[in-house]
Amino acid sequence: MIRSHLLNMVVFSVLVAVFFAFLTQDTRKDRLRVVLILGGSMVVLSLVLAYVMYPFPLR
Amino acid sequence: MSETLVEQALPKARPAAAPIVACVLAWLVPGLGHFYLGKKSRAAAFFFVVAAMFTLGIGSGGAASLVEERQPLTFLATFDNVAAGPIDLIGRYVTYGSIVYALPSTEGDPRRNELLGRLRARVRSVTYEYGNTFLLTAGLMNILLILDAFDIAKGRKT
Repeated sequence: MIRSHLLNMVVFSVLVAVFFAFLTQDTRKDRLRVVLILGGSMVVLSLVLAYVMYPFPLR
Repeated sequence: MSETLVEQALPKARPAAAPIVACVLAWLVPGLGHFYLGKKSRAAAFFFVVAAMFTLGIGSGGAASLVEERQPLTFLATFDNVAAGPIDLIGRYVTYGSIVYALPSTEGDPRRNELLGRLRARVRSVTYEYGNTFLLTAGLMNILLILDAFDIAKGRKT
């Protein structure tokens, strides 16, 4: 369905962030804050980790 | 008998909310337990997220897990799939062409070979790992929703 690694990761991160925002927060403002912080962290940290791993060989 | 100040401050569930009913509804349809408890916006969001996860999982080539006695982790994966609710039946039908939960243990069993063949056809998809991740996450989310509905019905959470 989605073949892009990056797009899969972003979609997954957004869905998980929205889920936990509604699970843990009650107001729209707090939910938006959780979506931005949690979703953003998942995407940014994954990209940082990928960048750090880049120099290492696969085998 | 009058309530103490601490009791008055505790959040209360709606009087009609039965925890078991909320849990069963939450399992049947993601978000339905919260709808039953009066949390309509949450219910809509949860339904959308879990349904999207499941649809992306199936669409990306993910496969419903089968219990295989020699591989204990398949019990957990199958339990997780089942926790997503009756929508898991769709995943099983798409993956195996029938509703099946366990792989026959006898080597050479034609049914076992048929199921493995269908599973391998999905494993060959380049997005199989993504699909499986989406499917398993949908199940885990629904487990959290069932527990959350239980807590709300019990008055432990608003």
